[in-house]
Amino acid sequence: MDKSQSTSIQARLRLERYIRTFVGIVISLFLLWRVYNVIVIQQNFGADTWVRFGLSGLILGGMYALIAIGYTLVYGIMFMINFAHGEVMMLGASGGFFTFEILRFIPAPSAASPDLNFLNAHPFISVLLAFLVGILISALAGFFLEKIAYGPLRKAPRLILLITAIGASIFLQNLAMLLFGPQRKNVVNPDILTRGTGWILKVSGNDVLISYTGVFSLVLSALLMTGLYILVQRTKLGRAMRAVAQDKNTASLMGVDVDDVVSKTFIISGALAGAAGVMWSIHMGLVNHYTGFLPGIKAFTAAVMGGIGNIPGAMLGGMVLGIIEAIGPAALGIDFQLKDVIAFSILVLVLIVRPSGILGEKLSEEKL
Amino acid sequence: MRSSAVDKGLRVGVIFGIIIVTMFLIGFTVTGAGLVGKIFGVSSSYSAPPSLIFFSIFMVLLGVWAGASAAARPLTEEDSLRRALTAGFMAGASAGFISAIVGLIFGTLAGKGIDPRTYLPSVSPDSIRTFLFNQPVPLGSLLMFGLLTVSGVGAAFVSHFLRNNNALKTGLHNTSAAAWNLIGSERVSRVTKNPYARYAALLVFAAILIILPRTWGGYWNYVFGTVGIYIILGLGLNIITGWAGQLVIGYVAFFAVGAYTFALLTAPEPHNLVLNFWVALVLGVLAAGISGLLIGLPILNLRGDYLAIVTLGLAEIIRILLKSDLMTAYTNGPRGIRDIGGPTLLGQSFISDVDFMYLIILAVLVVTFIATRLQNSRTGKAWYAINLDETVARATGINAFVSKLLALSLSAAIAGFAGVLFASRNQFTGPDDHVLMVSINVICLVIVGGIGNIPGIFLGAFALKGLPEILRETESYRLLIFGVLLVLMMRLRPEGFLPAKRPALEKSAASKAVGEEV
Repeated sequence: MDKSQSTSIQARLRLERYIRTFVGIVISLFLLWRVYNVIVIQQNFGADTWVRFGLSGLILGGMYALIAIGYTLVYGIMFMINFAHGEVMMLGASGGFFTFEILRFIPAPSAASPDLNFLNAHPFISVLLAFLVGILISALAGFFLEKIAYGPLRKAPRLILLITAIGASIFLQNLAMLLFGPQRKNVVNPDILTRGTGWILKVSGNDVLISYTGVFSLVLSALLMTGLYILVQRTKLGRAMRAVAQDKNTASLMGVDVDDVVSKTFIISGALAGAAGVMWSIHMGLVNHYTGFLPGIKAFTAAVMGGIGNIPGAMLGGMVLGIIEAIGPAALGIDFQLKDVIAFSILVLVLIVRPSGILGEKLSEEKL
Repeated sequence: MRSSAVDKGLRVGVIFGIIIVTMFLIGFTVTGAGLVGKIFGVSSSYSAPPSLIFFSIFMVLLGVWAGASAAARPLTEEDSLRRALTAGFMAGASAGFISAIVGLIFGTLAGKGIDPRTYLPSVSPDSIRTFLFNQPVPLGSLLMFGLLTVSGVGAAFVSHFLRNNNALKTGLHNTSAAAWNLIGSERVSRVTKNPYARYAALLVFAAILIILPRTWGGYWNYVFGTVGIYIILGLGLNIITGWAGQLVIGYVAFFAVGAYTFALLTAPEPHNLVLNFWVALVLGVLAAGISGLLIGLPILNLRGDYLAIVTLGLAEIIRILLKSDLMTAYTNGPRGIRDIGGPTLLGQSFISDVDFMYLIILAVLVVTFIATRLQNSRTGKAWYAINLDETVARATGINAFVSKLLALSLSAAIAGFAGVLFASRNQFTGPDDHVLMVSINVICLVIVGGIGNIPGIFLGAFALKGLPEILRETESYRLLIFGVLLVLMMRLRPEGFLPAKRPALEKSAASKAVGEEV
């Protein structure tokens, strides 16, 4: 390539970056003005409301983060958007729901209360069982997805992988609908985790409920994320995963079993999604075949926002997205019906302004 | 080797067992029996329990499939009858065992008066009873086991016999060779190459297109009008996905833009603009094309699958906005827009279903013409190059960004065109017409027919939008089948049923050119 041409391409790229930055600044200024208007001038909501929104955002963000990690892990290794990941999470949520339902029918009478069931007699074991079942189902779903659908296409063009993933997503969603029916099912928690109970916090004279289910979900997702971080950074499997993400061929030359690592990555991402699913069913309380779709897409948004392929990025992106989604409609003074629009608009904005995400390294154009 | 036969039989059997159990749990065993009945000309009603004979035939078919696929293609050189029978037996028996166990469980539960429909709504008492052949529980499960085992062994035996019978094989070979000879023979090709014969065929085709909408009545006009609109959508999506290689999941977004622009411009409510049909049509197409351009501008110079997800997000944004209270004043919200204008020409309105069918046929022809011209144009070749290898395409001087942008806005404009036709034909459009399922239908039909191939899209649209109208029983399983179809197609035949012939053509043209130069 001769020199004048290369400089002209550089100039074009620089111009493009300027345009992106400019658009970003304009949009952020507009949003800031809007938020300032709503919060400082109109003052529709008191501090207690903002705390409430922030808390629910944090809890939601934890779940998004867990799902987003699954997207990022798989993207890092196979360069594919695992479109069926939301459905994997839905299967985990259904697993948790059905575990609770089964345990509710097992009688465990004691002297004090003769018609006690297992769910309330041993709530901790029940919750543990629900998580085990949900995680197991989702991990298996991830494993079989890779084995049956994606594995044979490892060398195929990415379009084919993406279409396969969409097919798998449609299949799982409709299978769940035909098996369990389309109506939303109410999840009955053990009594100690009843939704709507919790600690009461006084903020500017008003009560703010810190629900047990919310705290439970948040703590658990923080623990799982820490665990995953340690797994990726400190263990042999984690090192193999990072190596495969960097370069499959070189990794396999260094003695890494690439197929095995890919398979385990799908299991791990499925397990995290399953845990998020069970949390979703415990905290949100409604499960049907459609449960996984929106969280799935939003978690993908979170993964892109944090920088796809970057695990801390996915965690951060998930938390930030959860909080924005909870606070956003109120802070921008728009209807609460539009909270899903906010998440999708963020996706579009991130791709316009900073396609590599918050924590994404400056990726070459190849990788984007 | 016996052990490999046992292994293979077991594996196939377990897979088929799981398939049968899943079919039972989603209620497909009843539907399948109904379909078998339909083949024999007995239409089933939804209320009556399915006929046992047809159910047995359905199960035998599954058992035969399992046995035949277990016995087919031996892993080792040895292809003995014993091996085939072992594999067939293992497949049939393990599938039968799994099904029998499930039948036993549900039969016993039903006997105790527990209705599984609380959690598994598709498992009706009728379907359990049919699954056990209307017999007492133990006998019924035994029958299921026996039926599948026998059909598995039988299928293995027959398939082994067919495979190793030389007389039959040569006979088949000769027949097919003769048939091919007839098709490829000089006489036939002289007829197909003859320009007058071609004109005659075209004339017949045109006559059919003119006569059919008048004769087959409103229902089929509606069905095939939908097929036509999906053909247009498929041709549009094919430009960006089939030729330029960029997947667009939220294609319905552009369809919605076209439909709503047209609807708002021609309906008396909520804005009372009531523009002329043709003006509104052009504006609807333009709006959709421009929306495609705007979406493409920031996204298309990133590589990868972002376009897929961003359009998905856009489709959801548009649907939610259309439904929300915020936009109710402008778009009528969830109620949708009524009394959308129909086509007019020289002051006369053509809104009868026959006239509209003609309009759709005309539109399909126009879009097909545009697509064909595009495919063979310089731009079409640039898209094809980008699809094959973007880096190489750039190195040969193609501006990949501009090409992709053009492809996306053309696709979007065509989707807008389809949206206009859709809104105008139904005289109504609402947020529920623009759900994600529309895009998934379009993606499916493009891929099943043959990605990048125009006749393939016609085939796909007829298969995916026309067939379900004929096979009404399978309505609720349609999306499930689409999902399976997508996964299987990508694995077994990613180029679709009618694959694009383009690479071969290019190669032959290139070699011809080289030959001439030499």
